[in-house]
Amino acid sequence: MLTGALDGVKVLDLSEDIAGSFCARLLADYGADVLKVEPPGGAALRRMGPFFHDDAHPEKSLFFLVLNLNKKGATLNLETVTGQDILKRLAPRVDVIVESYRPGYLASLGLGFDELKELNPELTVTSVTPFGQDGPYSQYRGEEIVNYAMGMIMSISGVQGREPLKHGGFQAQYEGGLFAAATTSMALFGREFTGQGEHIDVSITECVASTMMATQTMYPFMGGTQVRRRASGSMFGHPMPCQDGWIIVQTGGGASWEDLSEFFQCPEMLEERFADRAQRAENGEELDRIVIESISERGKWDLFPKAAEYRMLFGLVQTPSELAQCPQLESRNFFREIEHPELGTVRVPAELFKLSETPYRLEYPAPTIGQHNREIYVEGLEYDEQQFTQLRQLNVI
Amino acid sequence: MPRLPLEGIRILDSTYVFALPYAGGHLADLGAEVIKIEGPGRPDVTRTGGYAGSFPENLAGERWWNKPSTYNLLNRGKRSLVLDMGDERGRDLFRELVTISDVVMENFTPRVMRRWGLDYPNLKKLKPDIILVSNTGYGHGEGPYSGYPAQATTQEATHGHCWVTGYLNDGPAKAGASFVDFLSTWSAIFALGAALRYRNRTGKGQWIDIAMYQAGVMFLSEYLMDATINGREGGRLGNRHPYRAPQGCYPARGTDQWITLSVGSDEEWQALCQVMGRQDLASDPRFGDILSRRNNHDELDELLGQWTATKDKYDLMHLLQGAGIPSGPVLTGRDIHFDPHYKRRNFLERVDFPEEREVGSRFLMGRPYKFSNTPMSIRGPGPEFGQDNKPLLRELLGLEEDVYQGLVADTIITDIPASGEASPQMDPARAVELGLLADYDPEYRQRLGLV
Repeated sequence: MLTGALDGVKVLDLSEDIAGSFCARLLADYGADVLKVEPPGGAALRRMGPFFHDDAHPEKSLFFLVLNLNKKGATLNLETVTGQDILKRLAPRVDVIVESYRPGYLASLGLGFDELKELNPELTVTSVTPFGQDGPYSQYRGEEIVNYAMGMIMSISGVQGREPLKHGGFQAQYEGGLFAAATTSMALFGREFTGQGEHIDVSITECVASTMMATQTMYPFMGGTQVRRRASGSMFGHPMPCQDGWIIVQTGGGASWEDLSEFFQCPEMLEERFADRAQRAENGEELDRIVIESISERGKWDLFPKAAEYRMLFGLVQTPSELAQCPQLESRNFFREIEHPELGTVRVPAELFKLSETPYRLEYPAPTIGQHNREIYVEGLEYDEQQFTQLRQLNVI
Repeated sequence: MPRLPLEGIRILDSTYVFALPYAGGHLADLGAEVIKIEGPGRPDVTRTGGYAGSFPENLAGERWWNKPSTYNLLNRGKRSLVLDMGDERGRDLFRELVTISDVVMENFTPRVMRRWGLDYPNLKKLKPDIILVSNTGYGHGEGPYSGYPAQATTQEATHGHCWVTGYLNDGPAKAGASFVDFLSTWSAIFALGAALRYRNRTGKGQWIDIAMYQAGVMFLSEYLMDATINGREGGRLGNRHPYRAPQGCYPARGTDQWITLSVGSDEEWQALCQVMGRQDLASDPRFGDILSRRNNHDELDELLGQWTATKDKYDLMHLLQGAGIPSGPVLTGRDIHFDPHYKRRNFLERVDFPEEREVGSRFLMGRPYKFSNTPMSIRGPGPEFGQDNKPLLRELLGLEEDVYQGLVADTIITDIPASGEASPQMDPARAVELGLLADYDPEYRQRLGLV
């Protein structure tokens, strides 16, 4: 009886970063059995904050915690020959390996896709890297800002006259993780018929680029290049200040320009100089001034349901703590609680989407370093106690 | 040819705008037969060239609704059926199609499919193992916002992204293009692969209920943890990194040309000083360690900007990457068509439109991933409005000719949209003047080898 959509899928997660960790977590969330395999000192992500009560301890990285839910954990030093042999013993027992090392690194250890495929023809290796496995930049180093820059989005983010602007947070890395999970799930379905694994090569930069529909296609269709917005006179579609925060309104949707004028209690909007898009662009600064003044005494939480009555495309800028208390997310059961051995009960963002027959489940918190070593090496690979101790002493695990 | 993962899978794609239409396009790349279904009076909005889509040579012209760039990118490789779902006869044909399909995708507001009797419980009666993919702004259910209209631009504020995006010491901002749509795109692909595998093993279908808002919030997980546990509200860092310094976007030689770079460790900092030929900075105590570099970030930005401003953005990338420093140029929509890495990876695919479409050949983005055993490509442009009405209804469903003609006469099916108009396109030279375009290159087709 399968209770998760990916029940029975076994995954080794060798990744130390955001993208690979998120990919493997999503597979775990929907039923896969995921083992996080970390170097003996712990994955690099454990050194990244935020930390529990700001205590920079490898078991207290909240970033590591949230991206490694539902996984078990073991340590393995891939730079030792014994460690490499152990990985080769594990490879035939799993369906998927997720990794995010620099292209060629695992092959240099004798653990490339071609070697592992010999041991397990059904194995899929999902590699998620900044620029992909081949091409002139494949060995270059990525960072969030670099993925954004080279994925085109920075060229149109921010305002004219100032430097291009990246998104806050690590959206590109999360995208890489989600896209990698999606392609892995497709490869697993394909394998049902071919019995063959795949080496999946996900480029984080291309993940960002692939979302830039209008930006990419404009040049080959009509020779234009998109631009960042003007510094003023273009508030529709961008956050504008109200009494207690910011709101955002997009024209269109189910609301006419007349509806917007009524919503803003702003009859001037109906004047001839704002009659169409071109005129609104030309008189944009004046329009912004009128609209922003009209909401200077109104609060975002009053405007939100009002806008819904007008069928407007409306948003309000929420802060992280507002999101943490959001009744809509509550109704969707988005947050769950889990008991962590070091941190106690923590509330985590949990469910990405709903599956009616094989619902999301939260079974484990993130593993502590080497938490399941005994289960993997003694019970699974049948090392005896003496060998198990030796593996530890030799810094293999 | 190796077997594509979704060979033999039929998908009814009754979705509009960006998120799920793009999922359908990717599923077609993966081998599925994807049937895009639109209403006679409800052509997909991307067909109008709105939302910054472009017409070939900026001219809408005859049968403009088949031409826009974004429509064809998103809906590549699909078939098209136009069917009035507001009419019981249209819904009956849809029901017949459901019985011979594997997947239904829809992105109506929650009440619509219920009202039509086409929600999951009803679809399941027609085809017990059907998989339904729904994407809505806030998700189905009893939540207070479930019925609210939604779309990516405004959700980016509501799901928290604008709060963390913006220039340092400035208000919240929205990035130039919304991306939450694509979180639904890829959530759908992920969920569908898992659901198909599950169906293959158990014979059971299911309902995939995706909420864009929820996906957007998920991508701020570390901020939510910091807020819940440490009571911290995050905020805006501009182009800076929470832990690395210096990091930023600096001017390069030329108009509106930029280079990004990010320095973490002291070794990287030393390497940067070397590359800049500034040994004096390498021993400057203002920048000696990560903390001092963070505290003196403004001064560093000034120094770096002076150094980069005279150099080509690509030269800077190669120089910095050669020294082990993460760096890359800000690439525009035009730049990527000439970038050697994008070229080498065949990220842009040349798609040849049938001659009667009057679109010629254009480059469209392929996929951000590759499979080692199973090469994929875009299987064709987006379909013409209603181009497969006849083969789908006459041949696949076996409708008699007179019944088919009756549907045509009553506009239950059509190949001409009953409403909608081409989004007005501004003269590109004028758009550049107004600051609505960065640049216009009249020689683009020659440069791309498309003529």
